[in-house]
Amino acid sequence: MENNCKDCKYYLPVDVFKGICKIEKTNIGPDDLSCIKFERLPKCKFCRKYKAEKEFLGSCLGETIAYPDMNASKCAGFEWFQQN
Amino acid sequence: MRSVICMFDSGYTLPQGREVINFYYPLQYGINGIIRICEEGIAETAGTPDMDRIYFFQAVILMLQGLQSWILNHAEEARFLSSLEKDEKQKLEYDEIAGRLEWLSTSRPGSFHDALQMIWIFQTAVLNEDAISGLSPGRVGQVLYPYWKRDMDKGLIDREKTLELLECMRIKFTEIDCFASMGVVGGVLSGNTFNNLCIGGLKKDGTQAANELEMLIMEAGITCDTPQPTLSLLYDEKLPEEFLLKGIECTKIGTGYPAWVNNQVAMEFLLNNYGHEGMQSEEARAWSIGGCLETSPGSWMPLELDGEIHWIPGGSAPATSVGVHFLSLPKLLEVTLFDGLDMRSGERIFPSHGFALESYEELWGAYKDYFHRAVHILTLTNNIQHDAWRKISPSLINSMLKPDCLKKGKDIGQMGSRFNSTFNVESCGTANLVNSLASLKKNVYDDKKYSLAEFRNAILANFGFKTAQETGSYSLIDQVATKEYHKWKQIHKAGLSAPKFGNDDQYVDQIMADWENWFCRMTHEFRSLYDQPLYSCQISVSTHGPMGAVTLASPDGRLSGTTFSDGSMSAFPGTDKNGPYALFESASCWNHSLSQNSQMNMKIHPSVVKGREGSRKFLELIRAYMRKGGFHVQFNIVDTRMLKEAQAEPDKFRSLLVRVAGFTQYWVELGKQIQDEVISRTEYEEL
Repeated sequence: MENNCKDCKYYLPVDVFKGICKIEKTNIGPDDLSCIKFERLPKCKFCRKYKAEKEFLGSCLGETIAYPDMNASKCAGFEWFQQN
Repeated sequence: MRSVICMFDSGYTLPQGREVINFYYPLQYGINGIIRICEEGIAETAGTPDMDRIYFFQAVILMLQGLQSWILNHAEEARFLSSLEKDEKQKLEYDEIAGRLEWLSTSRPGSFHDALQMIWIFQTAVLNEDAISGLSPGRVGQVLYPYWKRDMDKGLIDREKTLELLECMRIKFTEIDCFASMGVVGGVLSGNTFNNLCIGGLKKDGTQAANELEMLIMEAGITCDTPQPTLSLLYDEKLPEEFLLKGIECTKIGTGYPAWVNNQVAMEFLLNNYGHEGMQSEEARAWSIGGCLETSPGSWMPLELDGEIHWIPGGSAPATSVGVHFLSLPKLLEVTLFDGLDMRSGERIFPSHGFALESYEELWGAYKDYFHRAVHILTLTNNIQHDAWRKISPSLINSMLKPDCLKKGKDIGQMGSRFNSTFNVESCGTANLVNSLASLKKNVYDDKKYSLAEFRNAILANFGFKTAQETGSYSLIDQVATKEYHKWKQIHKAGLSAPKFGNDDQYVDQIMADWENWFCRMTHEFRSLYDQPLYSCQISVSTHGPMGAVTLASPDGRLSGTTFSDGSMSAFPGTDKNGPYALFESASCWNHSLSQNSQMNMKIHPSVVKGREGSRKFLELIRAYMRKGGFHVQFNIVDTRMLKEAQAEPDKFRSLLVRVAGFTQYWVELGKQIQDEVISRTEYEEL
């Protein structure tokens, strides 16, 4: 599976179209293919508790509304769905 | 689009904003200090008859604890960035950011830089809490001055570093966005967020309040020309000449700020409308602009620094522009002429007024009747919306900041603020209404040149022109006549030739005075959700575009679908032919302190204000209007030809800023309706 920059912990979003690599300080796009330094950022879509229900929308444990690209870095209940 | 008598309902879209934030509590106590105040409030309240206050205190504590985690998340991110950084200077800056945030997550700021960071934290926190437009930071230069002066005296900061921080502040404020419906964000706000920063005015003791930090704030507005925060200069005769000339220097760069606002007129308005809630002249001096041009009450709070008390101003009322939003004055006249029907959509708006409209007085009476009905029903609607808002989505962080919510233990939806008479009735298209009434009075009732029926038919026929939607042009420039034009040419000419507001012509200025004197007073008949009287508010923001688009031709010769006049004291484009001083005479035909504001936009060619001599003349021009009692004037110092080029080739003008009606915006962000209106504004080529 190819990884995109928007899923990397070194991706700094500027807006929905633009971002900056925190390591290289270069302008990159969210959908650019990742480089060798890629490290996956905890997001709801990577969590075991996330359940996709519609396109771009789902829930946490079937209870709380969540969306796949929500940053879960600070979620105490986050559990990786698959290993990096 | 259906009939539009009124545009924008704040209760469902942007229930907060158009107000001034208050930074006193975080600066004085820090977050842990505020939590302690809440805990003391709980201890005092438990078991007493008003123990409901506990819910407010506890909610504020929970919010502040969340806020502390949020601040620390940012500190953690700064530490992470520092860990990746190889440049030592940059690494140090990240570490300083992290250290500052960690400190501010619990404690009060200790330096100017800390204090600036603290106000940004709370500005963002409130914006994250609710859908808001126009959360103005207020008189930031006076709030932060004690910290800055102390740091300067100790050599901890210099002007260069201060300017850099103020430029960074401008970037951060420009990043703010507003999420509401497309009609509101695009049609009303033109994508603007109205974070108005005020400078000047008076101190608590009545002496002038301008300071060196405010000079640097203006300098940052010149060196970093961004739409936010827009600047408003609270003009008072006591302000030093050097400060006023700096304002002129800033205005001359063409970004449209600072707007010039009359301090004494605003204070008189506040005393008239908040006196019954206990406001006196000393407190009236603490006012500021909330949103684009909404006069908002403030209070002086005692900030202690190194054992010395500094009285700092801040907002002490909730949103000051909620209520009946943007009534289309020309549309209401159209509906009056057609006995309650919207002839464009075919919808009946009001029951028949039953008048034959045989005299001007009867027409004026019928208009007032419909206007009254509109305000009545919209007041009730708005009160219901805001009642739902305050129950479902009460404001906590914003409430906590506002005096006297922490003392009363009540949020702003429960009248926790010191001042609560903040609902208004907003108008749009004033000059078109007044000019249209003047045209009908002159052509139909006084000279009896045409019958009212003939004017109605001419309106329905759009005076023989294609509509703005057909031509794609929204000003009177570049309109296209149809083959039928010859039938309507004479009556159209009569409409265009009738006396026009803005020329020091008593015939039409008396109509303006009659309108203002009636409008400003009739609003007091209606009661807000908080059982307080309403007041008038006269800003158009961008509504004069979309409201004009759904209004037929008007008796003043304006064509169907074209944009109304902007603001409320601006003349209709091209109709003010006797120079700016004649416009000022017309605009000062009524007492502006009757209203929360009035709004005048002017366009001046850059060559007119060139050099030191030009600056002096420019200041005298503004001073003349202020001395006549004008409330507000703002300027586009721009060449109309350049605006036309920018419209044709926007990619070449992506950084061009223009003043619309209470706000500065990138030209390329404006819709064509508003661009056409700005282009068509009268350009003064001499003063």
